[in-house]
Amino acid sequence: MVAPPHESSVSLGPYTETSSLSKSSTLSPTFSPFVNAYSRLSSWRAALGLPNPGSVENLQKEVKTTHLTNFIFDGARADLMKGLSMDPAFQVTHSFQLASQSAPPTYSFGALFANAKVLLQGNVDHEGNVSGRFQQSWSASNTSKMQAQLGMQPGHTMIQLEHDYSGQDYTLNAKAINPSPLDGSGIYVGSYLQSISKNLALGVETLYQRAALDQAEMSSSYLAKLTGSNGKWIATAQFQPIGVLQATYWHKLSEKVEAAADLQVIAAPMRRDAIATIGTKYDLRMSTFRAQLDSTGKVSALLEQRFAPSFAFTVAGEIDHFKNSAKVGVGVMIESTSLTPEEMGMVPPPGQPHF
Amino acid sequence: MPSEETKERVVRAIDFGRTVLHYGWIPFIIYVGYTRSNPQPSLIKLISPLA
Repeated sequence: MVAPPHESSVSLGPYTETSSLSKSSTLSPTFSPFVNAYSRLSSWRAALGLPNPGSVENLQKEVKTTHLTNFIFDGARADLMKGLSMDPAFQVTHSFQLASQSAPPTYSFGALFANAKVLLQGNVDHEGNVSGRFQQSWSASNTSKMQAQLGMQPGHTMIQLEHDYSGQDYTLNAKAINPSPLDGSGIYVGSYLQSISKNLALGVETLYQRAALDQAEMSSSYLAKLTGSNGKWIATAQFQPIGVLQATYWHKLSEKVEAAADLQVIAAPMRRDAIATIGTKYDLRMSTFRAQLDSTGKVSALLEQRFAPSFAFTVAGEIDHFKNSAKVGVGVMIESTSLTPEEMGMVPPPGQPHF
Repeated sequence: MPSEETKERVVRAIDFGRTVLHYGWIPFIIYVGYTRSNPQPSLIKLISPLA
């Protein structure tokens, strides 16, 4: 036991208790009931042991990586990726894309730099349009992000500033898209997601749009996320009071197989629509295969086959049965590096003596 | 309410910042990556797709 700081003071019990007393006495006595109530509330909250629910942006992350909507392409593409350093990570990418039905042929150059705290990423295409991303982690729970798209024409600029705070059992996020310091116009989004129990998290996202001085619009959406106790399945729902509901379900069937379903219902007075999508993803040793079927009559599949650690081949296909159209995509991805295996932190294969 | 002159100055400053970001962002990443990388790569490997 540590001795009390002053000889004259009567022993008040353990040292920790006296120190907390002296700390609270420095605050004004008016606030001490609130401080006490807050500290009791926060210790009670910590005792519940609720997990962090993850961010609102990543609410449907599992479904998005299982479905191939974000990965499909048509035409031909080649990505040449060059890793120049592992720690900190620094890589440059040259991407070529042509023969697409919907987009003109493009060339783009990308650069990425990342260490434990900072992420810098940029992309420029042959027309000079730049997109960039910047992330800075201030501490384990605070992250600031900036995202920008700068076009050659004056009107094609988008900038987004964002701050993320993840507490013990909740996540806060604030976003500003194209904020103008002059008249305060822009789009502002705030979201809050709170774990209610070990499996359930509820949240709200509010969007405030301000076009000019006297035109403002506010809309909220409500979120729910239900996670299985073993982390094998996740169900989410997002509801907007104007009549839009999106519900997703993701299930990890085995170590290598994941399945996901997504239902989007729009029941606004002007428009009534619903789309359901189901998809699976197989993670095999050297390849990834995704297949997807949706209620608009589209069947699509995507195979990423890795022939060597640095060479991957991708085939994508989509058939729209209702419109009677099809899309096919072929891509190669070549990764080269200027580093030796030792510099990349690879362990030399066993059986070969290392001199 | 800021005066017209201040407003114009702010608009010009934003425009200038956007131009700097547009032309400077990729060179900035390459400069940061080039100077902080371990080991330092050669410049030709950095730019050319074939080297």
